[in-house]
Amino acid sequence: MNTETLNKPHVILDRLQLAALAGLMFLGAMFVFSATMASESAAAVPWFKQFWFHQIIWYVLGIGAGAAICLVDYRTLSRWSFVIYWAMIIFLVAVLVPGIGTVHGGARRWINLPFFQFQPSEFAKLAFILAMSHFLSRPADELKQRENFWKGICLMLLPFVLILKEPDLGSALVLVPTGVVMMFVAGTPRSYLLKLGAGVGILGVIFLADILFAPRALQLPMQEYQRQRLLVYFGASFADAKATPEQKAEARRVQAERSYQVNQAMIGVGSGGLLGKGWRQGSQTALGFLPSGAAHNDFIFSVIAEEEGFVGSILVLTLYAVVLFTGLRIAGQARDRLGKLVAVGVVTLIFSHVFVNIGMNIRIVPVTGIPLPLLSYGGSSVLCSLIALGLMQNVHIHRKGY
Amino acid sequence: MLIVDEIKKNDPHLRLVALMFAFGFCVLIAGLWWVQVVSARKYQSHLETQAYRSVRIPSLRGKIFDREGRVLAENRPRYNLSLYLGDLRRQFDAAYDQLHKAAIQNQKQTIAAREKELGRSLTKAERKQFALTGDQLEQLRQQARQLVAGGAVAQVGRELGQPIAFDPVKFERQYRTRLALPYTVINNASPALLARYEEGSAAIPGVDVELQSIRDYPLGGTTAHLLGYVLRDDNSKEGEEAYFDYYLPDYRGVTGVEGSFDSLLRGQAGGGSVLVNSVGYRQSENILDAPEAGHNLVLTIDLDLQNAAAASFTAHQGEDARGAVVVMDVRTGDVLALVSSPAYDPDYYVGGLSAAEFQAETAFLSNTNLRPQINRATYENYAPGSIFKTVVAIAALEHGLDTNEIYHVQANPERPGRGIFYLGKRAIRDTAPPGDYNFQRAFIHSSNSYFITNGLRAGAENILRIGEKFHLGERTGLLPHQETGGHFPTQERVESSNWRAGDTANLCIGQGEIAVTPVQIAVMVSAIANGGKVLWPRIVERIEPQDPASGEAATNFPAGLVRDNLDVHPRTLSILRQAMLADVQSSEGTGIAAAVNGMQICAKTGTAEVQDAHNRDISQNFWFASFAPYENPKYAVVVMVEGGLHGSGGLDCAPIAHDIYAAILAKEKKATPQTVAKQ
Repeated sequence: MNTETLNKPHVILDRLQLAALAGLMFLGAMFVFSATMASESAAAVPWFKQFWFHQIIWYVLGIGAGAAICLVDYRTLSRWSFVIYWAMIIFLVAVLVPGIGTVHGGARRWINLPFFQFQPSEFAKLAFILAMSHFLSRPADELKQRENFWKGICLMLLPFVLILKEPDLGSALVLVPTGVVMMFVAGTPRSYLLKLGAGVGILGVIFLADILFAPRALQLPMQEYQRQRLLVYFGASFADAKATPEQKAEARRVQAERSYQVNQAMIGVGSGGLLGKGWRQGSQTALGFLPSGAAHNDFIFSVIAEEEGFVGSILVLTLYAVVLFTGLRIAGQARDRLGKLVAVGVVTLIFSHVFVNIGMNIRIVPVTGIPLPLLSYGGSSVLCSLIALGLMQNVHIHRKGY
Repeated sequence: MLIVDEIKKNDPHLRLVALMFAFGFCVLIAGLWWVQVVSARKYQSHLETQAYRSVRIPSLRGKIFDREGRVLAENRPRYNLSLYLGDLRRQFDAAYDQLHKAAIQNQKQTIAAREKELGRSLTKAERKQFALTGDQLEQLRQQARQLVAGGAVAQVGRELGQPIAFDPVKFERQYRTRLALPYTVINNASPALLARYEEGSAAIPGVDVELQSIRDYPLGGTTAHLLGYVLRDDNSKEGEEAYFDYYLPDYRGVTGVEGSFDSLLRGQAGGGSVLVNSVGYRQSENILDAPEAGHNLVLTIDLDLQNAAAASFTAHQGEDARGAVVVMDVRTGDVLALVSSPAYDPDYYVGGLSAAEFQAETAFLSNTNLRPQINRATYENYAPGSIFKTVVAIAALEHGLDTNEIYHVQANPERPGRGIFYLGKRAIRDTAPPGDYNFQRAFIHSSNSYFITNGLRAGAENILRIGEKFHLGERTGLLPHQETGGHFPTQERVESSNWRAGDTANLCIGQGEIAVTPVQIAVMVSAIANGGKVLWPRIVERIEPQDPASGEAATNFPAGLVRDNLDVHPRTLSILRQAMLADVQSSEGTGIAAAVNGMQICAKTGTAEVQDAHNRDISQNFWFASFAPYENPKYAVVVMVEGGLHGSGGLDCAPIAHDIYAAILAKEKKATPQTVAKQ
């Protein structure tokens, strides 16, 4: 039995997952091209300066980084996880300092590097998964201690608060399901998790009630645009109940403006129909209804759905499903709890991104600016996704029975 | 599923996570199904309403020809110099950037000045006061585009060597409501202007020549009332798609042939769509539904006769004379000429006049005395006067009048040489001199006494019966929207207690409760000439497709449709015709001025008095109702002139009829050799 296994040609990598990833990257390049090449002025830019080409470069770099990660055993990497975690925390603090972090669209999320706008929150997700899996991989008995439960929560809350401060609600929120699922899989007692869930649920309800119904004076301190995004999602009026007619009219105007992107994204998705309009035939970006700044990153799914229709949407979902379920298989086959937790963390993170981003395009979830892994344009996101997937392959390489 | 199987046998934690993912995907798939498949149509229509502007594309209006294929109305291209706003978009943006920079600079300077004043730097809140508001930015945008558009217009003006006014308000309106359509800089550019433009400044960005179709009437006023006019009307007619975002210029026929046959001429408008981007600029165009061209109309009108009639009327009566001429083929009811005077300039309605001409024409059209918009051939009621004696003659002859019986006209003591007739206490003047009259003499002298006496003898009922056969008081259907039926008393009216002998006497001389139109009289004369067939007059001979290659057959309107038959003794009509012939040929005849060598003309003249509310004579209508040739009648010519207190049908109308008959004769002579050659 043993010899038989040893003599087998070793399947080092999970090929099915790699194929799905290749498919996603191909789609990503194709539709970043489609979303950005619609206008004549964009097409006039030399090819090496165009978004689609940059995206391909990021794919290549990301694949390189992911491959590099695979060279070192994840158990070795894990020993450094807290160093990486704290380094990331330092970056997250740094990005909040006005001289270091740069502001785009009202949020201070980026650190300018010579070739690259570095987005610490993306890398923080990765660092968080590493640190959390390292922390949770201790013997299951230790997890039953209340103290360790709270330590885990704090591990999650620290980056959560810092990212929320940027503000980047979406990136902060995806940490929660990732952390919770990891804790669950690690074997944290169910009672703790239920209490946590109940706590989060109550907080969430209070939070929403506060935003939707409370008078201005009693509302939580929050960025106005985030409040408005939530109001748009719930279809609530921007104006106070006591507002004058002028204020109400103004609020309606602002509301129309705020709802614009999501409405346009939805028109794009919906008008794609069953079969779509064909690659580069979508009119929402070409005519500028879907703002060109958003089409190739947060709303790339709208472009795909418009041009390839329901069939295209299902293709995208299928590719993600393959990645996620092979990821779970990797988790199941991992040689130790650490590997399992890393894989589960990565998979949950990707799932959260996919669900929130696509859900946002069809208005199931409120607009939160988070990218669609590997499809959205953006160096940090592509790089992090590929490194995370590299980690998962790493777990696969060192799996059980090998 | 392989992957799922593997997870199943693993630990329950992972299984739960997998279930959670599966559930998430199911939610997404369901959501996408709902949005992309179930509600796809809704979103597609959202997309259409925001990205497409529908445009109504008018069809090409049909042409109008005379019976020999000569053009009476057609479409002429008109060239406008227009500004295509989409092409100027970058310039708008560039100008805005400049203005914006200047505004920022200005703002900085004010802040600096303020800081100097205070001797400290301003706080954030203080700075905020100087920030540009959204309204200010919008104003800058507006200013920028007006600068660019105004500049382009001025440049065109410089190139063409003539200043062109730029109307910012009109431009702004166009920008806001019709951004996808061109803004007209010069309406109706002359060929010289176009040539200069093409030579010099074809490179001005955003400016281009735009083509428009305009209705053209080569004969102007001569055919004005016959053809009518068209008005700018971009709306859809019945049965067409009605809602469009934009409408291209279209015209609707209002009066005359253009009005009566509008739906045939107009065809079916089509629809197109303009794809616009999120700001509203035009991206591309396509035609979804091609317009169907209108039909050509071939009229029964003979342009030579129309010209002769109009020219003669003007020559004898002057430009501003009021009246009408109708020439009809007595065998078919075909209208060969239809003139109403005074005539307006049809270009007035399609915008082909200069400002000064336009003003003059406006004043002319609103002249309440001339009322140039009335088609006097069909749309105005006139007392027939003595020409109605033809009807009385038929009634009397049918009633057994002996044409040789002598009737004595009494002398009018107040007016020597004229007759008078007493009906009870009422005296009715007679222009015929006192003396003895038989039928023919009474007819050519148009003796009131004779016709009243014999009319009364025949009875009002019998006169009415004949008048009804002629369908007096009813529309002829020539121009459905522009015709009056005149007035003719009914049998009930005559039988009623307040109908008196005096009313019958009035009727006998074509006065009182009777009103006719020249076209009705033409139909009446035609019936007398053709042996008693009362015809439906016809003005459109046939409808043809505009494109001869379309394969659609021409539709002929039937000629000589008989509306009614007089059912009188042939002898009656022959006596009447002889009397009418004598009216022109005998030396005593009133219509002698109409006589033409080589054609025997039969006629009855008339002078009807027009009275005001106090029964005072205020003016007269002169009539000349005729047909020719006597032997083999072909043409009916009816001339009516609204005159003053002096004049008569013989003096005012007969010379015009003369000219028309001369033109007919000349035309027949010219045509004869050709007919021979054909045979």
